[in-house]
Formats: sequence, structure tokens, C-alpha cells
Amino acid sequence: MVHGVDLVVEPGERVALTGTNGSGKTTLLRAVLGLHPARSGVIEVGGVRAGSAADWTRRRRDAAWIPQKQAAGRFPLLADELLASSGAPEHARTAAEELGVGHLRGQPLHTLSGGQLQRTYLARAMGCVAAGAGLLLADEPTAALDFAGQADAARMLTSLPVTVLVVTHDRAVVNRCERVLEMAAGALREIT
Amino acid sequence: MTQLFDLLALDAVQRAAFALLLGAIGLPIVGVVIIGLDIVPVRFAMMHIALLGIAFGLLTGVDPLLCAVVACGLSGAGLAPLARSASGLSGAMGLLMSLAIAAALLVLSISGVNAAGAFELLWGSILATRTGDVVLLGVIAVVVPGLFFLRRGQLALLLHDRELAACSGVRVERLTMVLLVLVAVAVAGAIRLTGALLVDALTLLPALAARRMAHSLTGMAWWAVGFGVVVNLVGFVLALLLDQPPGPVLVLLAGVLALAAHLIPERRTPEWQSSPREAVSPH
Repeated sequence: MVHGVDLVVEPGERVALTGTNGSGKTTLLRAVLGLHPARSGVIEVGGVRAGSAADWTRRRRDAAWIPQKQAAGRFPLLADELLASSGAPEHARTAAEELGVGHLRGQPLHTLSGGQLQRTYLARAMGCVAAGAGLLLADEPTAALDFAGQADAARMLTSLPVTVLVVTHDRAVVNRCERVLEMAAGALREIT
Repeated sequence: MTQLFDLLALDAVQRAAFALLLGAIGLPIVGVVIIGLDIVPVRFAMMHIALLGIAFGLLTGVDPLLCAVVACGLSGAGLAPLARSASGLSGAMGLLMSLAIAAALLVLSISGVNAAGAFELLWGSILATRTGDVVLLGVIAVVVPGLFFLRRGQLALLLHDRELAACSGVRVERLTMVLLVLVAVAVAGAIRLTGALLVDALTLLPALAARRMAHSLTGMAWWAVGFGVVVNLVGFVLALLLDQPPGPVLVLLAGVLALAAHLIPERRTPEWQSSPREAVSPH
């Protein structure tokens, strides 16, 4: 349960969200996209509230989302289909090449390793930003990567010209954010 | 063999064969969607709702099959808000089944119609296929593959992960409702061919065999249609040759094919169908 959260993130700001497991970080991030229904309170993105289903669809489409649990899925999905879902397939494919997973485009996601899957999701997020997303919401986007991969991913994510709200325990990511917030028992406090 | 050709010269047999061919195009793709949405029990629910529709048709004098199709379509649309999870749909379908069969029996009792007439449709009668049934199957053969291939990107996302689809701009509620209506209408349309109890032969079994062979959603659809065509045509000819009811022959053939597909060594088939996993930890 998340309660009493009062958070304003300025346009272009990069904010890291840390905290213990189960403290509500993922819930907060998912609530921004309406994936977790908020019982009370208001969440605005770009000064706009989401009310109707069409509003939520627009908000989700205009955000780049990297989920924590990148489901291998019950049904096959090719890596290239995931990249194409970004809205800017060519940019996402280029990002996939830069992240070292470009050659896996024809592979179903369930055949990729955790690290490869996470890189593919990162490339998709790059595509979303190229397609016009102004907000990046990332939930532990480097958790499955090796040390070199974590540094590369942290650099790429935080150099994007968008507002970033990232749940992370990775120092490489935290150090590149302007603000660091800590979530504890569903409440939020500012660390730096 | 001469006897077979004599049979194939009959209008009713030709119409049945054509209906089965049309069914083999659209219905196996419906089976793919049923597996993808994890709503395998949906056909039981639709069977009961079709019976209610038939009962209503017998009571009012309107074409019973048309009533069954409409009832199933409306039920499919009504189920859509519950489709956020497979468990949500399962519970609702259980409730729907009970209510539909109770209402059907009540309507039949009130109308004074012999219930056996209504239940006949549950067993199917391919050779009794009418032009209207062929038209319905033709519409399904055009609309289902058309929707599938036009929206395959969105469908692949939705069937893979509902949240990923939602975050990719897919209007998941609307698409799910369209799929559920299509599934419901297709199941109702298939009832005439094999009967509600054997409708799996045309929908699920080709899709189950295809799931074993394909690495992508599009590939699975192609495999399912291929299996469907083989099962329907070979099964129908076999039934004529053996002078046996086509419905059970089709089911047995489709079942053998699905089993054979599952006997292919594991390493040569995709792994995704065995169990969902979350690949978040590093290898």
C-alpha cells in the first residue's frame, strides 16, 4: 500500500526511487500508468489527469515503460515485434545494435537470457523516446545486466532528453540522477 | 471408390465439404486466440448459451441458429470487462453456463417445445448444413484471418502480455471485446458442423498442434490453418469412405495430429508453451 505520496518531478528531471523490497516503489510507478489503480489522489503527467480509457491509452503510449518483470509470456513474441511496439522501430533496432542485441531480433523473447531481454526492453524504451515519449518510467532496468552492461545502460538511460523516474538499487543509475528518493513502508522521503 | 464419387456428387455433401473448408480457414485461428487468451472453457459456456438462443428461437419462430449466434455474440461482448485475467473469465463463464442452461430449460418448458429438437444441435449434423451456415462460415473465414493479419502486431502484444500491449498504445479492452465476440460467434457457427460437443476439432485441436510447431504468433496461425484444412478434408473423406459420422472422425483425426505434434522431440519445438516464466534474473 502506498499512501501520502506528494511528488513533483520537473520536466527533464531525472529522479531515482530507492527503498527496501515491498516498500511500494513498483506500485507507485505502475500507478502513474494506471496499471495499478489508485484508490485516491491524483496523478498528473504534463499537467494532465487521465480519466477515460482513451486518456490512459494516450498516457501509456506517450511514456516509455521498462517493467521489472519482463514476462517471457504465455505466447511467443519476437524481439523485433517488441522493438516495433515502441512506435519507432528503426530507432529501437539501432539502439538494439548499440546494446549488443541487434542480432537477436528474429528470436522469440522466451529464448533470450535475462540480460538480453533487459537490453531489448532498453532498446524499446529508446524507440519510445524517439517516437515522442516525454517520460521514461523504468523499474530496475539494469538488474539483470553485468557490471559493464549496467554502466552502459545507466549512461544511455540518463542521457535521454526526457523526464526520468527510475526504481533502482544500482549505484551507476543513482549517481546519474539529480534527485534520489527513498520509499519506506509506502511513504516517500527525499534523500538528496 | 465409385461410391465415394457418387456421394461427392450430392449437393448436401458438396455443401458440407465446402463448409468444412471454409471452417478450416477461420476456426483454427479462433482456436489460437482461445489459447492465447487462456479461455479454453469458453466453448462450454457458449454451448449452453447457444442452447438458450436455440430455445428462444424455437419459442419465437425466429431461426434458432441465428438466435444462437446472436446470444453467443452478446455474451462474448458482455464477458469482455471480466477479461483482465483468465480467472476472472473462468468464474464468469461458470456462472453464465449455469444461468444459460437453466433459462434454456425454462424457455423450452414454457414454449412446450420438445427439448430433444433443441439438443439435436449439440450433436451437429454436417450433412444438414444449410446455405445460411455456409454464409456464416464464409464471413468467419474472411473476418477472422483479416482481423488477425491486419492487427497481428497488436494481437501478438496482447496475447503475449496484456500490460505490455496497454503500454504500447493498444486499446486492450476494445480488442479483447472484439476477440471474445469473434470467438463466441465462431463457436456458435461451428456448432452446425460437428456439434457443440465436438467443436474442438475445428478450433482448439489444430491450434494445439500448431502451438507445438511455431515460433511466432503468425507462424502459429499458418500452421493451425494448415492442420485445419488437412483434418477437415481428410477427415470428411474418411468418414464418407468408412460410412461413419463425420464429427467423431474429425475429432479423432485432429486429436491424433495434435498428439503426433506433441511427440516431436522437445529440443525441436519451442519452449514457450510449456510454462510461463519470468526471465529477469541474469544467466
